[in-house]
Amino acid sequence: MYYRFSGFTQRLVGATAAAAYSPQGLKPLVPTIESPDLIFGTSKPAPGLPAADPFLSTNKVPDLQKVFQRSDGLPIHLKLGYPDRMLYRTTMALTIGGTIYCLVALFFASRPKKEK
Amino acid sequence: MAHQAHSYHMVDPSPWPILGAAAALLTTSGLTMWFHYNSPQLLIMGLLSTMLVMFQWWRDIVRESTFQGHHTPTVQKGLRYGMALFITSEAFFFLGFFWAFFHSSLAPTPELGGQWPPVGIKPLNPMDVPLLNTAILLASGVTVTWAHHSITEANRKQAIHALTLTVLLGFYFTALQAMEYYEAPFSIADGVYGSTFFVATGFHGLHVIIGSTFLLVCLARLIKYHFTPNHHFGFEAAAWYWHFVDVVWLFLYISIYWWGS
Repeated sequence: MYYRFSGFTQRLVGATAAAAYSPQGLKPLVPTIESPDLIFGTSKPAPGLPAADPFLSTNKVPDLQKVFQRSDGLPIHLKLGYPDRMLYRTTMALTIGGTIYCLVALFFASRPKKEK
Repeated sequence: MAHQAHSYHMVDPSPWPILGAAAALLTTSGLTMWFHYNSPQLLIMGLLSTMLVMFQWWRDIVRESTFQGHHTPTVQKGLRYGMALFITSEAFFFLGFFWAFFHSSLAPTPELGGQWPPVGIKPLNPMDVPLLNTAILLASGVTVTWAHHSITEANRKQAIHALTLTVLLGFYFTALQAMEYYEAPFSIADGVYGSTFFVATGFHGLHVIIGSTFLLVCLARLIKYHFTPNHHFGFEAAAWYWHFVDVVWLFLYISIYWWGS
């Protein structure tokens, strides 16, 4: 029988082995010794053979993990800096501008025809 | 940085939900302006902003999970529930169109000539392209399962091959359906036969396109080493969706194409 601490009832409650293995609140943000993400990248091809895959054979996930886990206070949608900001501003401009256009169009569409 | 004492993911404040809602407003009012005033600008703005929001929102989820590690088993469980509930809601969506089809076809009115297919309608031969499309989708169900097994067995090359094949089969289906639509001797305006046929198969085709796109994104992520043998829920969600699309087609084929011809 495994147990976990229920934040809801503030008591120990029954749990599965999986939950006990990954205790809540103690999941590391940075991959530790396990590094399951590197399983694909670390399998070594037989000596003498070329890299098994012609596409993007280098695993850039660990580098990206470092970048996105930087303590710079930036929210996830702006984490990469300039390209994120540009895309965000374009989306905002299109959406906010469009909403105003929409309200104007609906205002005119809802008025009765003016010709006598 | 203070650590949380729970396994849930408290997301960073994000603009995408509200901007997505605004994009939906633009798209729907854009449809109105296009239908009634022949003006497509608002619709184009709506579709564009919807695409932008979808791209950035899902990009952020990939960042939060693969790069920041926020998708604990608890979070993944929630995502599984979410995807299962979404697919269930889609099943009900299609149920409505099947209801409409059977309502009209089980008791054809005198206006239709008291028969189904109605008088004057020349239905598509179910043993022609529709049968090929059935084979294509069934095969794609096999290849996506092959891809899944390859991922869990850490066989990268096979996984990429299998998923590529799945995506290609999906696009092949769409291309063949588009050709069938173009060549069909009846249109959506041809009474209730045309309406039920094109609305049901049309929404299904849209779902095939959505599913193929989802699988394509998974292929890109697979190539970029995002998935691990134990954690690849994005792929599983795409595979579930794809199987659902396949099952809907089987129902469409049997009821509308075959029984209805």
